[in-house]
Amino acid sequence: MPARWRYILSEAGKGLRRNVLMTVAVILSITVSLTLLGATLLLRDQIDLATDDWVDQVEVSIFLCDGETCPAITPEQEDQLREDLEAQPVVDEVLYESKEEAYERFTELFQDQPNLVEAVEPDILPASFRVSLVDPDEFLVIAQQFEAYPGVEDIIDQREVLTQFLNFTRIVRNGALAVALIQLAAAALLIGNTILMSAFARREQTSIMKLVGASNWYIRLPFFLEAVITGVLGAVVSWGLLYVVVPRVTEGLSAQVLLMPFIGVREVWEAAPVLLASGFGIAAFSSIIALWFFQDS
Amino acid sequence: MIRLQNVTKTYKRGGDDEVIALNDVSLEINKGEFVFIVGPSGSGKSTFMKLLTREQLVDSGELWVAGKDLNAIRSWKIPALRRDIGYVFQDFKLLPNKSVRENVAFALEVIGKSRREIDIRVPEVLELVGIEEKADAMPHELSGGQQQRVSVARAFVNSPRILLCDEPTGNLDPSTSVGIMKLLDRINRTGATVVMATHDQHIVDSMRRRVVELENGVVVRDQSRGVYGYAG
Repeated sequence: MPARWRYILSEAGKGLRRNVLMTVAVILSITVSLTLLGATLLLRDQIDLATDDWVDQVEVSIFLCDGETCPAITPEQEDQLREDLEAQPVVDEVLYESKEEAYERFTELFQDQPNLVEAVEPDILPASFRVSLVDPDEFLVIAQQFEAYPGVEDIIDQREVLTQFLNFTRIVRNGALAVALIQLAAAALLIGNTILMSAFARREQTSIMKLVGASNWYIRLPFFLEAVITGVLGAVVSWGLLYVVVPRVTEGLSAQVLLMPFIGVREVWEAAPVLLASGFGIAAFSSIIALWFFQDS
Repeated sequence: MIRLQNVTKTYKRGGDDEVIALNDVSLEINKGEFVFIVGPSGSGKSTFMKLLTREQLVDSGELWVAGKDLNAIRSWKIPALRRDIGYVFQDFKLLPNKSVRENVAFALEVIGKSRREIDIRVPEVLELVGIEEKADAMPHELSGGQQQRVSVARAFVNSPRILLCDEPTGNLDPSTSVGIMKLLDRINRTGATVVMATHDQHIVDSMRRRVVELENGVVVRDQSRGVYGYAG
């Protein structure tokens, strides 16, 4: 058995070396497509992080006075405010978030930025009513009407804070995904073609192998391995690129965009299995198709 | 060992144009026989050989080789069939980047034989074909006759029950051909069935073995201890 595997591995190595330029082209092509694919995955993580379920449901935050900058809201005022909010036809749902809940959510949201969490005292965050609207564009109606309520400190349109950033991110993500898929298809064709060329270059040898009764998998495995090795190498390189670049970019961004959580190294690690599986899968798939054609010719 | 029952094989040649390569051929070759398949080019010799190794499938009729029904054989069992058949080509088909020893060993390596078995069997068969002193030579350093001996060694190294030879002397001069024929005769005497397609009249006449003559895909003569043609 070891002798067999030595043969298969050495043949795969020969195939890779026989046409080094082609091998490099395949690896680069896979690297480009998987880097883009990885980027779309990480952008999705970023979007999810910035719009956790909670933020997604809330369009308006009505922060309540806690006695620091304005007289603290009384329980009666609070009940009145909630009642009036719920009476509005444009209001879909009203949720109350206490100071403790606000702090809890804050620490969770920024767990990757411990400095920020440390700098914020547990009771500094105000309690608030989180209001979702039937039509998010009706923010002004709510803002104008409840601004002057006693005990209301501030009213913020959460959408406005997030929407621009999210829209931009989504466009980038979709664009990257489209390019990644096209590039991935191109990589698949390139792999298939390379394997056909490799098999064609060794057709004398494979035809003799067939005639002396070598099994089909034994004949094909070197070519399959050749493709899979390039696929996995491409995946490793693309992951390395993301590993080096992404944390730097998000670090730079988080210095500029305050109070927005950003993904870090952990998410890049989490993308590794997906990239490896994609590199392996695309190489395996296209080489199997190519070898199937080769066998019939 | 080999049995054809009403075997027909045709090739499409563009549109509805068909070429009949074998037409209702019935033939039986027994274990240990030495058979010449003769006939002009296009008579069906090559098709006959290709059917035996299951490179091609018959259109109709039955074909049994080494106890296997080639119409019913599963594709994953074809390699096992081919391990029972040695194949010698007119143009040798040695791998140019491997030495004589490596070319012969290759046939065993790729069917998963152990290194120990290969190290015992390869020198044996190189000695049988009389090329042991050239074991480390590369194919291009050998004469045609020597290359064909290596080719025979590769075909026979796995001790197949059947040896198919497709014009094995076609590229060789007459005296070298005699040497190859002696070698094939020796292999036949070890019990292997030898089927040889040829149109080398001298060889057929001198060997005096069974002759099957094909013409336009039909067996026109089947004669034990035959010669190439009646009137030459």
